[in-house]
Amino acid sequence: MKVKLELFGASRDLSDKDFLEFNLEKKISIKDLKKKIINYVDQNFKGNENFKKIIETSSFCSEDNNIISDNYKITKDQKIGIIPPIGGG
Amino acid sequence: MLHSKIIDLKKEKIEVNKAEEFISSSKFGASLIFKGTVRETNENKKVTGITYDSHDAMVIKSFEEIYSEIDQKLKIKDKAVYIEHVKGYLGLGEISIIIAVACPHRAETYILSRYIIEEIKKRSPIWKKEHYENEDSEWLKGNPIQAN
Repeated sequence: MKVKLELFGASRDLSDKDFLEFNLEKKISIKDLKKKIINYVDQNFKGNENFKKIIETSSFCSEDNNIISDNYKITKDQKIGIIPPIGGG
Repeated sequence: MLHSKIIDLKKEKIEVNKAEEFISSSKFGASLIFKGTVRETNENKKVTGITYDSHDAMVIKSFEEIYSEIDQKLKIKDKAVYIEHVKGYLGLGEISIIIAVACPHRAETYILSRYIIEEIKKRSPIWKKEHYENEDSEWLKGNPIQAN
Protein backbone atom coordinates (compact mmCIF):
# COMPACT_ATOMS: atom_id res chain seq x y z
CA MET A 1 0.00 0.00 0.00
CA LYS A 2 1.36 3.40 -0.98
CA VAL A 3 0.65 6.65 0.86
CA LYS A 4 1.58 9.89 -0.81
CA LEU A 5 2.01 12.55 1.87
CA GLU A 6 1.48 16.00 0.35
CA LEU A 7 3.59 18.68 2.04
CA PHE A 8 2.46 22.20 2.91
CA GLY A 9 3.88 25.14 4.83
CA ALA A 10 6.80 24.33 7.12
CA SER A 11 6.59 20.61 6.24
CA ARG A 12 7.85 21.46 2.75
CA ASP A 13 11.34 21.56 4.29
CA LEU A 14 11.15 17.76 4.65
CA SER A 15 11.77 17.21 0.94
CA ASP A 16 12.80 18.91 -2.31
CA LYS A 17 9.60 17.48 -3.77
CA ASP A 18 6.04 18.47 -2.87
CA PHE A 19 5.43 15.10 -1.23
CA LEU A 20 6.87 12.10 0.61
CA GLU A 21 5.96 8.52 -0.25
CA PHE A 22 5.57 5.69 2.23
CA ASN A 23 5.24 2.06 1.26
CA LEU A 24 3.26 0.28 3.96
CA GLU A 25 2.61 -3.40 4.47
CA LYS A 26 -0.64 -3.05 6.41
CA LYS A 27 -3.44 -0.66 7.26
CA ILE A 28 -2.32 2.09 9.59
CA SER A 29 -3.82 4.99 11.48
CA ILE A 30 -2.78 8.63 11.19
CA LYS A 31 -1.20 8.25 14.61
CA ASP A 32 1.04 5.50 13.20
CA LEU A 33 1.74 7.48 10.03
CA LYS A 34 3.04 10.30 12.24
CA LYS A 35 5.50 7.82 13.78
CA LYS A 36 6.65 6.82 10.27
CA ILE A 37 7.25 10.46 9.39
CA ILE A 38 9.21 10.97 12.60
CA ASN A 39 11.31 7.89 11.71
CA TYR A 40 11.93 9.48 8.31
CA VAL A 41 13.18 12.65 10.09
CA ASP A 42 15.43 10.55 12.34
CA GLN A 43 16.95 8.82 9.32
CA ASN A 44 17.23 11.78 6.94
CA PHE A 45 17.64 14.82 9.19
CA LYS A 46 19.46 13.36 12.22
CA GLY A 47 16.32 13.62 14.33
CA ASN A 48 15.93 17.40 13.73
CA GLU A 49 13.79 18.49 16.69
CA ASN A 50 12.18 21.40 14.82
CA PHE A 51 10.95 19.06 12.11
CA LYS A 52 9.63 16.61 14.71
CA LYS A 53 7.75 19.42 16.43
CA ILE A 54 6.14 20.42 13.13
CA ILE A 55 4.91 16.84 12.65
CA GLU A 56 3.65 16.54 16.21
CA THR A 57 1.66 19.78 15.96
CA SER A 58 0.28 19.15 12.46
CA SER A 59 -3.16 18.01 11.47
CA PHE A 60 -3.79 15.78 8.48
CA CYS A 61 -6.35 15.90 5.68
CA SER A 62 -7.90 13.31 3.42
CA GLU A 63 -8.19 13.36 -0.37
CA ASP A 64 -11.68 14.83 -0.05
CA ASN A 65 -10.26 17.79 1.87
CA ASN A 66 -11.48 16.95 5.34
CA ILE A 67 -9.36 17.20 8.46
CA ILE A 68 -8.99 13.68 9.82
CA SER A 69 -8.36 12.48 13.36
CA ASP A 70 -5.44 10.45 14.71
CA ASN A 71 -7.69 7.37 14.63
CA TYR A 72 -8.46 7.64 10.90
CA LYS A 73 -7.41 4.39 9.19
CA ILE A 74 -5.55 4.37 5.91
CA THR A 75 -6.72 1.21 4.18
CA LYS A 76 -5.74 1.72 0.53
CA ASP A 77 -3.39 3.70 -1.72
CA GLN A 78 -4.19 7.33 -1.10
CA LYS A 79 -3.01 10.88 -0.77
CA ILE A 80 -2.88 12.44 2.68
CA GLY A 81 -2.04 16.10 3.27
CA ILE A 82 -0.02 17.30 6.25
CA ILE A 83 -1.40 20.58 7.61
CA PRO A 84 1.08 22.34 9.91
CA PRO A 85 -0.22 25.10 12.21
CA ILE A 86 -1.78 27.79 10.01
CA GLY A 87 -1.45 31.56 9.92
CA GLY A 88 -2.33 33.27 6.67
CA GLY A 89 -4.01 36.55 5.90
CA MET B 1 -23.22 36.35 -3.33
CA LEU B 2 -19.69 35.05 -2.92
CA HIS B 3 -16.54 35.17 -5.01
CA SER B 4 -13.56 33.28 -3.60
CA LYS B 5 -10.26 32.46 -5.22
CA ILE B 6 -6.61 31.65 -4.61
CA ILE B 7 -4.40 33.81 -6.81
CA ASP B 8 -1.27 31.97 -7.95
CA LEU B 9 1.18 34.82 -8.43
CA LYS B 10 3.06 32.86 -11.09
CA LYS B 11 -0.02 33.11 -13.28
CA GLU B 12 -1.97 36.24 -12.30
CA LYS B 13 -2.19 39.32 -10.08
CA ILE B 14 -4.52 40.23 -7.24
CA GLU B 15 -6.51 43.35 -8.18
CA VAL B 16 -8.60 45.59 -5.97
CA ASN B 17 -10.67 47.01 -8.84
CA LYS B 18 -12.12 43.54 -9.53
CA ALA B 19 -13.27 43.35 -5.91
CA GLU B 20 -14.86 46.77 -6.15
CA GLU B 21 -16.72 45.79 -9.32
CA PHE B 22 -17.98 42.54 -7.79
CA ILE B 23 -19.54 44.12 -4.70
CA SER B 24 -20.93 47.16 -6.51
CA SER B 25 -24.74 47.23 -6.47
CA SER B 26 -27.46 49.79 -5.76
CA LYS B 27 -28.96 47.23 -3.34
CA PHE B 28 -26.17 48.07 -0.92
CA GLY B 29 -25.64 51.34 0.90
CA ALA B 30 -22.26 50.42 2.41
CA SER B 31 -19.14 48.69 1.19
CA LEU B 32 -15.76 48.02 2.72
CA ILE B 33 -12.54 46.73 1.18
CA PHE B 34 -9.94 45.20 3.49
CA LYS B 35 -6.43 44.59 2.16
CA GLY B 36 -3.74 42.65 3.97
CA THR B 37 -0.22 43.73 2.91
CA VAL B 38 3.36 42.71 3.64
CA ARG B 39 4.80 44.66 6.57
CA GLU B 40 8.48 45.63 6.79
CA THR B 41 9.11 44.37 10.33
CA ASN B 42 8.00 41.43 12.43
CA GLU B 43 9.24 40.68 15.94
CA ASN B 44 12.10 43.18 15.50
CA LYS B 45 13.30 41.54 12.30
CA LYS B 46 13.56 43.44 9.03
CA VAL B 47 11.34 41.67 6.55
CA THR B 48 12.02 41.86 2.80
CA GLY B 49 9.11 39.71 1.60
CA ILE B 50 6.81 36.79 2.32
CA THR B 51 6.17 33.55 0.46
CA TYR B 52 2.60 32.33 0.92
CA ASP B 53 1.67 28.67 0.63
CA SER B 54 -1.84 27.25 0.64
CA HIS B 55 -3.83 24.04 0.40
CA ASP B 56 -6.00 25.54 -2.33
CA ALA B 57 -8.99 23.19 -2.18
CA MET B 58 -9.23 23.38 1.60
CA VAL B 59 -8.85 27.14 1.60
CA ILE B 60 -11.69 27.58 -0.89
CA LYS B 61 -13.78 25.15 1.12
CA SER B 62 -13.10 27.16 4.29
CA PHE B 63 -14.07 30.42 2.54
CA GLU B 64 -17.35 28.83 1.42
CA GLU B 65 -18.05 27.49 4.90
CA ILE B 66 -17.34 30.86 6.52
CA TYR B 67 -19.67 32.54 4.01
CA SER B 68 -22.44 29.99 4.50
CA GLU B 69 -22.35 30.45 8.29
CA ILE B 70 -22.85 34.23 8.13
CA ASP B 71 -26.66 34.09 7.89
CA GLN B 72 -26.93 32.07 11.06
CA LYS B 73 -24.09 33.52 13.12
CA LEU B 74 -24.28 37.20 12.19
CA LYS B 75 -27.86 37.43 10.87
CA ILE B 76 -26.65 39.30 7.80
CA LYS B 77 -28.73 38.10 4.87
CA ASP B 78 -28.19 40.64 2.10
CA LYS B 79 -24.51 40.83 1.25
CA ALA B 80 -21.82 40.54 -1.37
CA VAL B 81 -18.53 39.00 -0.30
CA TYR B 82 -15.32 38.87 -2.33
CA ILE B 83 -12.33 36.98 -0.91
CA GLU B 84 -9.02 36.45 -2.70
CA HIS B 85 -5.75 35.27 -1.15
CA VAL B 86 -2.44 34.95 -2.93
CA LYS B 87 0.08 32.14 -3.03
CA GLY B 88 3.68 32.75 -4.01
CA TYR B 89 6.19 35.50 -3.24
CA LEU B 90 5.26 39.09 -2.32
CA GLY B 91 7.52 42.06 -1.65
CA LEU B 92 6.93 44.78 0.94
CA GLY B 93 3.60 46.58 0.68
CA GLU B 94 2.10 44.10 -1.78
CA ILE B 95 -1.38 42.69 -1.22
CA SER B 96 -1.78 39.21 0.22
CA ILE B 97 -5.54 39.21 0.78
CA ILE B 98 -8.59 41.20 -0.27
CA ILE B 99 -11.86 40.92 1.59
CA ALA B 100 -14.49 43.14 0.05
CA VAL B 101 -17.99 43.24 1.49
CA ALA B 102 -21.16 45.16 0.74
CA CYS B 103 -24.38 45.26 2.76
CA PRO B 104 -27.43 47.50 3.02
CA HIS B 105 -26.03 49.33 6.10
CA ARG B 106 -22.53 50.29 7.33
CA ALA B 107 -22.59 48.54 10.70
CA GLU B 108 -23.01 45.17 9.00
CA THR B 109 -20.02 45.71 6.71
CA TYR B 110 -17.64 46.36 9.62
CA ILE B 111 -18.88 43.30 11.50
CA LEU B 112 -18.79 41.11 8.41
CA SER B 113 -15.32 42.11 7.23
CA ARG B 114 -13.79 41.61 10.68
CA TYR B 115 -15.55 38.28 11.13
CA ILE B 116 -14.27 36.93 7.82
CA ILE B 117 -10.59 37.82 8.38
CA GLU B 118 -10.60 36.43 11.93
CA GLU B 119 -12.18 33.15 10.77
CA ILE B 120 -9.70 32.85 7.90
CA LYS B 121 -6.84 33.23 10.40
CA LYS B 122 -8.30 30.38 12.47
CA ARG B 123 -9.52 28.03 9.77
CA SER B 124 -7.91 28.46 6.34
CA PRO B 125 -4.78 26.41 5.63
CA ILE B 126 -2.45 29.20 4.53
CA TRP B 127 1.17 29.54 5.59
CA LYS B 128 3.73 32.35 5.52
CA LYS B 129 7.47 32.10 5.07
CA GLU B 130 9.12 35.40 5.94
CA HIS B 131 12.31 36.49 4.21
CA TYR B 132 14.71 38.78 6.10
CA GLU B 133 17.36 41.35 5.25
CA ASN B 134 20.18 38.98 6.25
CA GLU B 135 18.87 36.48 3.64
CA ASP B 136 17.51 34.09 6.26
CA SER B 137 13.93 32.95 5.97
CA GLU B 138 11.53 31.29 8.37
CA TRP B 139 8.09 29.68 8.33
CA LEU B 140 5.98 31.55 10.84
CA LYS B 141 4.51 29.71 13.79
CA GLY B 142 0.75 29.40 13.47
CA ASN B 143 -2.19 27.78 15.19
CA PRO B 144 -3.02 24.09 14.83
CA ILE B 145 -6.15 23.44 12.79
CA GLN B 146 -8.65 21.08 14.42
CA ALA B 147 -10.95 18.40 13.04
CA ASN B 148 -14.64 19.47 13.15
